[in-house]
Amino acid sequence: MLLSVENLEVKYGNIQALHGISFHVNEGEIVTLIGANGAGKTTSLYSICRLTPPEAPRVIAGDIKFRGESILKTRPSDVVKQLNMALVPEGRRIFGNLTVMENLELATYSRERHADLKDEYQRVFDLFPRLHERRKQRSESLSGGEQQMLAVGRALMTGCNFLLLDEPSMGLAPRLKYELFRTLKKLNESGMTILLVEQNASLALNLAHRGYVLDTGELAAQGTSAELLGNPDVKKAYLGG
Amino acid sequence: MLATIIQNLINALQWGSFYALIALGYTLVYGVLTLINFAHGDIFMVGAYIAFFVATFMLSAAGLPGWAALALTIPLTMILTSMVGVTLERVAYRPLRRKGAHRLYVVITALMCGLILEHANLALLGASRKAFPPMITEHVYNIGGVSFTNLKVAVIVSAILVFILLQWIVTKTKVGMAMRAISYDKFAVPLMGIPMDNIIVATFVLGSGMAGLAGILFAMSYPILEPYMGALIGWKAFIAAVVGGIGDIRGAFLGGFLLGAVEILVVAFFPSTFRDLIAFTVLLVILAFRPTGLFGVAKTTKI
Ligand SMILES: Nc1ncnc2c1ncn2[C@@H]1O[C@H](COP(=O)(O)OP(=O)(O)OP(=O)(O)O)[C@@H](O)[C@H]1O
Ligand SMILES: [Mg+2]
Repeated sequence: MLLSVENLEVKYGNIQALHGISFHVNEGEIVTLIGANGAGKTTSLYSICRLTPPEAPRVIAGDIKFRGESILKTRPSDVVKQLNMALVPEGRRIFGNLTVMENLELATYSRERHADLKDEYQRVFDLFPRLHERRKQRSESLSGGEQQMLAVGRALMTGCNFLLLDEPSMGLAPRLKYELFRTLKKLNESGMTILLVEQNASLALNLAHRGYVLDTGELAAQGTSAELLGNPDVKKAYLGG
Repeated sequence: MLATIIQNLINALQWGSFYALIALGYTLVYGVLTLINFAHGDIFMVGAYIAFFVATFMLSAAGLPGWAALALTIPLTMILTSMVGVTLERVAYRPLRRKGAHRLYVVITALMCGLILEHANLALLGASRKAFPPMITEHVYNIGGVSFTNLKVAVIVSAILVFILLQWIVTKTKVGMAMRAISYDKFAVPLMGIPMDNIIVATFVLGSGMAGLAGILFAMSYPILEPYMGALIGWKAFIAAVVGGIGDIRGAFLGGFLLGAVEILVVAFFPSTFRDLIAFTVLLVILAFRPTGLFGVAKTTKI
């Protein structure tokens, strides 16, 4: 087990957002978290990445383990540096005042000083040729879809082998959405473990091996993608009948 | 006439250099933490005192010749002053940040820290002023009716070199990039594997180091030190940073030189007691027209 979340309870101030949820991700898997707005998906990812209040919640009970060891005391920058996990956050959160290239370079901050990253930049540019065209542009001026590509490319440049994505298809045109999902599949085939939060449940379940359904901070269902796709409750609530 | 103008310009540039070097510290810290570090003027004062002790030691105890003393005093003072700035960050600001305290309380803390530095100095060293030991002989040059000293030129050149260096750090190095990134979106910075505290420490090192440099140069130019010497010049540098657009390095420099120029201009036409009144009023008027300062565009483009 690469990552396991155990009976996790978290609070924002006095408001409890997760009421003891458990899930896990195995190495090499694509796992998806689905659920309605406010279910606690983003909250779960922020907790795993050990981000700090006020934007992220505070863990009050339960545990988060990476390869069996608790990471509750790990700094957020070490989640990236030591555990090689990278989050593509909700709303992209790229640095709009930096150029595309600077955003990518910044993501290599914690990597070895003289590491040869040429191939890795090339991989990002192969996945998203648009970014190469716009590499000198201030990233604020990119379109929403291009910004999303940058957010993914940036996460890859951290040298991660575990990618967490929070609604990466938000605001993408259908064609780009499918392209992004194909990209995720390709990455997974080359060894990347993926935890995907998605609004579009059918798209997510078609990509993922397994999934968990969150409902107002509690786990409502779990299973392989085929099981969830066939589950009548899940169908009714998240798959449009 | 032309000679008078150039003469005044040189004086303006010299004072502008002091303001700019100090303004830089306000602007860097603000860009990264959105904190107005009101103790910064007193860091400058501490820098001048550190320079005093280091220089005195080098000249008398170590018996070094002036030029060697200067060559050692500059880096040592900058390093020691940055350590004071970093300590301030550690003991005063970081705990508040950890607790998620409101910005207001952090600013109040900063004001208190400034007062503590002033009064600690008073308590430890007494009220008597200190005379800064001369390390180099000041030469007065006279070209076409314009007189200037080697020291004045050195002050101006130092400020310009510092500007170039900082501009390079902020635009070209990863630490500088991280500083700009923090000013845009703090939250996403750790997601890049960047320890926020390291960048904050780097910011205080740069800002306080430059204040230390300003301290030496100032003490060499006006060799009388007293505990409150950082108060007024600190306020002025802060205002210079705001007028330039706080958070922007170019703004801090432009604001500093602008303030220097306005002051010299005022003194040229009015009694010198009017200097600060009119200078501050002019800056107020500039802010009324451009509240974000000359370089401050939107909230998003800091540093
Ligand atoms: N910074 C915050 N402060 C207080 N409460 C918050 C904060 N962020 C989220 N919450 C609350 O926590 C709960 C879970 O929110 P979360 O953002 O995790 O939902 P989500 O599943 O990601 O929803 P969406 O699909 O809309 O992104 C919600 O009730 C929300 O109001
Ligand atoms: Mg969300």
